[in-house]
Amino acid sequence: MVPVMSSRDIGGAMQPPAASPGPAAPAGAELLRWQWREVQAPCLVAAWILVASLAKIVFHLSRKVTSVVPESCLLILLGLGLGGIVLAVAKKAEYQLEPNMFFLFLLPPIVLDSGYFMPSRLFFDNIGAILTYAVVGTLWNSFATGTALWGLHRAGLMDPGVEAGLMDFLLFGSLISAVDPVAVLAVFEEVHVNETLFIIVFGESLLNDAVTVVLYKVFNSFVELGPAHIHATDYMKGVASFFLVSLGGTAVGLLFAFLLALITRFTKRVRIIEPLFVFLLAYVAYLAAEMVSLSAILAVTFCGICCKKYVEANISQKSRTTVKYTMKTLASSSETIIFMFLGISAVDTSKWTWDTALVLGTLFFILLFRAVGVVLQTFVLNRFRLIPLDRIDQVVMSYGGLRGAVAFALVILLDREKVKAKDYFVATTIVVVFFTVIVQGLTIKPLVTWLKVKRSDHHKPTLNEELHEHAFDHILAAVEDIVGHHGYHYWRDKWEQFDKKYLSQLLMRKSAYRLRDEIWDVYYKLNIRDAISFVDQGGHVLSAAKLALPSMPSRTSMSESSVTNLLRESGSGACLDLQVIDTVRSRRDKEDAAMHHVLRGSLYKPRRRYKASYSRHFISPDKQERQDKEIFRQNMKRRLETFKSTKHNVCSSKSKARLKEKGRKKYQTNPLHLPAAPVLVMVSSEEEESDSSETEKEDDEGIVFVARATDEVLQGKTTPGSLDVCPSPCIIPPSPTLAEKELPWKGDQADLAVYVSSETTKIVPVDMQKAWNQSISSLESIASPPGIESGPQHRRFACPVLEEQPQSASQVMPEQSSCFQFPSHISKSGRSQSDSSPDGPEQQELQPLMATEEQGRMAPTAEPRWLMFNRAGHL
Amino acid sequence: MRWKSKTPCSQKSEEPIQPTSLSLFLRLFYRYRDLAPQLVPLDYSDNPAVTLPYELIGSMPELKDNPFRQRIAEVFSEHGDGNMTLDDFLDMFSVLSEMAPRDLKAYYAFKIYDFNNDDYICKSDLEKTVNKLTRNELTPEEVSLVCEKVIYEADVDNDGKLSLADFQRMIIRAPDFLSTFHIRI
Repeated sequence: MVPVMSSRDIGGAMQPPAASPGPAAPAGAELLRWQWREVQAPCLVAAWILVASLAKIVFHLSRKVTSVVPESCLLILLGLGLGGIVLAVAKKAEYQLEPNMFFLFLLPPIVLDSGYFMPSRLFFDNIGAILTYAVVGTLWNSFATGTALWGLHRAGLMDPGVEAGLMDFLLFGSLISAVDPVAVLAVFEEVHVNETLFIIVFGESLLNDAVTVVLYKVFNSFVELGPAHIHATDYMKGVASFFLVSLGGTAVGLLFAFLLALITRFTKRVRIIEPLFVFLLAYVAYLAAEMVSLSAILAVTFCGICCKKYVEANISQKSRTTVKYTMKTLASSSETIIFMFLGISAVDTSKWTWDTALVLGTLFFILLFRAVGVVLQTFVLNRFRLIPLDRIDQVVMSYGGLRGAVAFALVILLDREKVKAKDYFVATTIVVVFFTVIVQGLTIKPLVTWLKVKRSDHHKPTLNEELHEHAFDHILAAVEDIVGHHGYHYWRDKWEQFDKKYLSQLLMRKSAYRLRDEIWDVYYKLNIRDAISFVDQGGHVLSAAKLALPSMPSRTSMSESSVTNLLRESGSGACLDLQVIDTVRSRRDKEDAAMHHVLRGSLYKPRRRYKASYSRHFISPDKQERQDKEIFRQNMKRRLETFKSTKHNVCSSKSKARLKEKGRKKYQTNPLHLPAAPVLVMVSSEEEESDSSETEKEDDEGIVFVARATDEVLQGKTTPGSLDVCPSPCIIPPSPTLAEKELPWKGDQADLAVYVSSETTKIVPVDMQKAWNQSISSLESIASPPGIESGPQHRRFACPVLEEQPQSASQVMPEQSSCFQFPSHISKSGRSQSDSSPDGPEQQELQPLMATEEQGRMAPTAEPRWLMFNRAGHL
Repeated sequence: MRWKSKTPCSQKSEEPIQPTSLSLFLRLFYRYRDLAPQLVPLDYSDNPAVTLPYELIGSMPELKDNPFRQRIAEVFSEHGDGNMTLDDFLDMFSVLSEMAPRDLKAYYAFKIYDFNNDDYICKSDLEKTVNKLTRNELTPEEVSLVCEKVIYEADVDNDGKLSLADFQRMIIRAPDFLSTFHIRI
């Protein structure tokens, strides 16, 4: 891009007056020097991107406009305006869409984005239709348009200035007839037709690149050779080069996808550059294919489609998010720039020459032949489709054949010496592109509404669908085997087995490979959704902003699959499911039964559906939701496990046991430095664990894992501690186990306390330190009056932490704690009563389920209960 | 299409055999015969009572990895024992052809899941399915949870098991759902 931009001399409105030569160079040393020349090129690039992005913001200020007019239209219009200004000021056209810049920099991000986020199953299910439209349709369009225009020319309807033979028109036909992926995406994305229709049109626009490239090159060389010198072998070469270009491009893509997957398998310790590999290798694939003049679009598309499964399994959740956002950002800005520059380029009148007959003829023919082609092909294809493409679909498909920047870049690339009518072709292409993008883009939405085209119905994998899809695949493969028919299912079955046996083992990390159980994945996702909707229903607003505490993201990014992994490894039935809570609790008191009902009743009703749609500009909102859900999930899980281990004193997993060992060690080594202990334990156990463990834990899970560890450490300590040391009723350390023993139905609150405390240590380490100091001071000076230790703003956080301290202290030095305890609790109770908000009993029941930022409310309500325990004990 | 009788056998006899093209029929017939040349005669004019034992089908090398091989043979065989006559063989094919109505497909899909033939997909049926699909990689608790969820999702009348009506409703809700349930020849 740099040479392109810097080669032009500057002028026009965009140019700041800075370009004027700096002060005459003085003889001595300069204090400052004006260096516009050095920064000119990147500065212009940045300025244009900025203008385009700002324009987008402005467009979206008005919801009305963007809901009617597609963004691409607005951008083209903006480009026209800006181009006009530039033209008026500089007296010559500047800043145009250079084919090189377009093909090397602007197109790859869009294609990569569309390939990577392509719904692959849908794509391969419809691959037959897509290929037919892409290959046969494009061939038909090219030849029909070219020949028809030539006929028009022969009939003498065109301006005599159009010097073009049959080959010229075929060349023009080849570049004008290809549906453009950029334009299709930009328009269809806002229309929301059903997925099948979308994937067919969009897939066609991507895959027809090979046809376009080959036809364009072949006809270009034919034009250069001149009609007299073309031999039959040249035609054969043309056909052969089609297969070479398309298959070669695909092969390059697959090769790089393989490399990419393999590389990401080993990026465990360099997480931060993981996303870079994705972009780099895909780009290198594009360049490699371009270098040997294979179809670069095919290469990147297939690279994206094929690598996704393995890459997503290998890289961390953070990297996944980064890849997704970066890709969307790049693609979106590329697209913005493309459309804007299309508009700017159009004002350059020196480039084009108008011929009404050619323009109108082209417009008419491309619309006509596209419609005819679609109808004929669909007629054939429908014989093989279970759900046929009906008339309305065909209308949308014909009408959705948008042309775009690819055609424009190709026509600019023509050689004026060889193609005499280039100026006419340029003018026609610009009109066609503008017509399709603006007129068709504007009208397709009303058309879709008017025709009542089946919209995308936010397809969501319910567990049923996931299950049956798998089952059907197997069943059909079996039947195909029995009848000895090697059809689609047969090959897919074979592919899946191959993938499972060899590819996945080679390209995925061990930990990731084990988790490829989609059924369980879907189940897990659904559960998270349910859990979140439960929280939503509970009326406790879990806003994302609140959840995004600085120390939280690590937990946020815990991938769901690794949760499964942990579960599997632990070998326990410690399931994340909410129903487990139900089943365990169903044996318990009525109080719990009531809660069970609350859970049950609110759990499943507002089930939100998973949306498997593809959108380039708008990352579907469920991402954030999912993160929220994951946070919630984590909380649920931790609580559950605390609950389990407390309840049954079961330590089923090795890792748990090991962690407990470590935790114990730490506690034994520095029992008197308890204030720092939890933090120490956390860090050390994390490091040891991640180093020693066989399975590859994701880095960003570290703290999550640790949180569990501390939990278990606490649990492991409290349980024996309370059993051994507290036989007499007068020593009442407020350990959850004991409290629970005395008041069995209060188990929840005990859990809550532990959970809250560990939570707090993580979230507010500063506060925690203060709290420790504070508690230490309360330990040392028994008679110190309550309420003066710390500022009021720390109290909320301090309370739960205080809980933790006596509890762990009680194990190490039970005698001390038993006598120190009371005052601190008194002080707490005084405080908590003062600032506790009135909570209904229902809320109290719900509290264990609430996430951490509810501490402010949770702590006060939990406090009185603790006080009750203690008092009971002391009485 | 409403089902007058629930039993697959009586149902099947009413269904016309769909693959009309003679060449296709012959292809299928030869394939059928190839499975057991010593059992199947070339002359079918007197409609001999020839059945292909399940052992033959189940031992096909292509099928050894397929979790549903036995179930398919059972569902499509007339007596539910996995032994297939030529008619059964053709029936299986016509159900999965593109021309078969969706309700018929849904019915047979339902039958395939209904392992214990009680006309309901109950939890044990689903557990079998899930176990087959995941090749016993999930723990029993996980399987049980998944099954509960599946039933919960689709069970409209709340009887804890899925009837054919439930199943069809679920399939109608996802229009493209059965689009994969066919074989292209």
